[in-house]
Amino acid sequence: MPEILLDGWQGLSPTAQDILILLLLLAPAVLTGLVVTFGYRPFLLVRSLLWRYRWTNLVFVALIAVSVGLGVGLTAQERGLRQGTARAAEKFDLIVSAPGSEITMLFASVYLQPSDVPLLDGETYEKIVSNENVSLAAPIAYGDSFEGYPVVGTTPGFIAHLSGDLAEGEMFSRTGQAVAGSAVEVPLGASFTPAHGVGDGAEHEAHAGAETVIVGRMAATGSPWDKAILVPVEAVWEVHGLANGHAPERAGQIGPPFDTDYFPGTPAVMVHADALWANYALKSDFTTDKTMAFFPGAVLSRLHALMGDVRQIMSLMAVVTQVLVTAGVLTGLVVLTRLFSRRLALLRALGAPRRFVFAVVWCYAATLIAGGAVLGLGAGFAAAGLISREISRRTDILVRAGLAWPEFHLIAGFVSLTLLLALTPAFLALNRPVIADLRN
Amino acid sequence: MRGLPLEVSNLSVTGAGGRVLVRAESLTIAPGESIGIRGPSGAGKSTLLYALAGLQPTARGVIRWGAADLVALGESERARFRRDHIGLVFQDFLLFEELTAQGNAALAAAFGARGGAASIRSRAGAVLERLGIGDTARTVDSFSGGERQRVAIARALANDPAIILADEPTASLDRDTADRMIDDLVDLARTGGKTLIAVSHDRTLLERMDRLVEVIDGRLREGALDA
Repeated sequence: MPEILLDGWQGLSPTAQDILILLLLLAPAVLTGLVVTFGYRPFLLVRSLLWRYRWTNLVFVALIAVSVGLGVGLTAQERGLRQGTARAAEKFDLIVSAPGSEITMLFASVYLQPSDVPLLDGETYEKIVSNENVSLAAPIAYGDSFEGYPVVGTTPGFIAHLSGDLAEGEMFSRTGQAVAGSAVEVPLGASFTPAHGVGDGAEHEAHAGAETVIVGRMAATGSPWDKAILVPVEAVWEVHGLANGHAPERAGQIGPPFDTDYFPGTPAVMVHADALWANYALKSDFTTDKTMAFFPGAVLSRLHALMGDVRQIMSLMAVVTQVLVTAGVLTGLVVLTRLFSRRLALLRALGAPRRFVFAVVWCYAATLIAGGAVLGLGAGFAAAGLISREISRRTDILVRAGLAWPEFHLIAGFVSLTLLLALTPAFLALNRPVIADLRN
Repeated sequence: MRGLPLEVSNLSVTGAGGRVLVRAESLTIAPGESIGIRGPSGAGKSTLLYALAGLQPTARGVIRWGAADLVALGESERARFRRDHIGLVFQDFLLFEELTAQGNAALAAAFGARGGAASIRSRAGAVLERLGIGDTARTVDSFSGGERQRVAIARALANDPAIILADEPTASLDRDTADRMIDDLVDLARTGGKTLIAVSHDRTLLERMDRLVEVIDGRLREGALDA
């Protein structure tokens, strides 16, 4: 591409670039339409043919709509999932844990997927919290649950960082109190006893006597934390028979500072620094033989990059499906033109120019294809919305799959390609024998 | 437009395998003359009619309407000749069922026949009115056979052709309707001075023609109605 064009292109806003790509993709269809219909008005006859074979036409349109909807739904869904998982992780600047798998820790700490991981000791925690660049270092202690909701021990500072002000109620101020996530279906004031472990293997009597009252509710975060019950980390330690993080003279304290000698350990520490550069410095500082520090966003990016191959396969499958359906539709159009071949023969007998008959057949095919594409756009949008809701329900990650430029580009490309291919049945219709068709 | 003279010489139309379907050494028709073509089924009447319309690609010889030899013309010129000079009427009407009477009669307006869309629409409306089709905005799927054939006649006349070619125009109609249709067709052709060629078995129609041509085994000869 000449440099001047490249500079001009890069000078455009992303929206302008997307609009331009859309127009370029649609250009073959529009130009073909203008050339094919120039000087003629075939639309009355096209409308007549559409109505005459309306049920067959509807089947064709539905077939195209399903094909387009599949492609649109897949791409929108994949993007929604990617954005949803990224959004859920964006409050987790840096995670410090014992060395191991970053992905395992990512799933455990950010997405609250249960996992047995080694603990960080009090010395390490002290080292983290005393770093001058650290503005928040919150222990995250998971492993308990209540009726399927993970019960996570942490600090009030982390809750404020995660969701801002509470949606209702107040922050826990002692052990025996909890703050529920926005999607936890336990009312304020209700009490519960956490089970040890999660899922079917949870031991419901293990923490008998550790009755906890819900005193507040977080605002929605769009992450699995919306279905978590957050308790003081001291409470988690206590119910497991451990020291509660504070020296006996401060036994009733909630939240930092913790006493190193009474710090029983935590699977992970969420670390936040006010300055971006400081996060990188912290990552470097805590990447040691005893600790592992990672940016959840970066791990997620690598995961998405890995999934990118799957995405390409999915996109390829969507394209292959559309090509197959298009081939089917074109074959069907050839068959359909035979259905109304007598009418086309009549037009030619009456002296209609070949290009007019060509325009009638092409416009008829174009209407079916364009109608199917528009319906497919709606169907894909609806399907993506339904699947997103289901994924959100199952994973607690808020997935919003809406239509965006890639879907419009996909459809524009599909429409242009198929409208060019629709020239084929139009050509074939012209080669039919007029007299034989008139006598049919 | 007034009728055109027809001069056919050494015409042959072949079918599959080179079989000769119609052979005519000479046929002349004067402008404004009406000709009935009759003969047994399969004798080649319709083949001859379609050849005269320039629709038989295997026709050889001379089919000269005025100055235009249809055999010598290319396909697009033949199509242009048809839309400018010929009106066609078919046995089973061949209408677009979903279009109105006016839409069918003015069909040629969609592809630009001689005179322009406006004049075609206006002439189509006038012929429909003359033929007694009052509700021209009604779709023809609710029309009777007679009404449909009248719409088909209006379509054939909408481009003010010099020639009307009719293929068994009364075959799908009952006697009374056929008689009325014959009156309409013949009157419109005569008052317009148009050349009318009709393939038919209908004695009433043939009786109204100036001249008869008989087609037997693909060969033409002057004919006469039996007493």
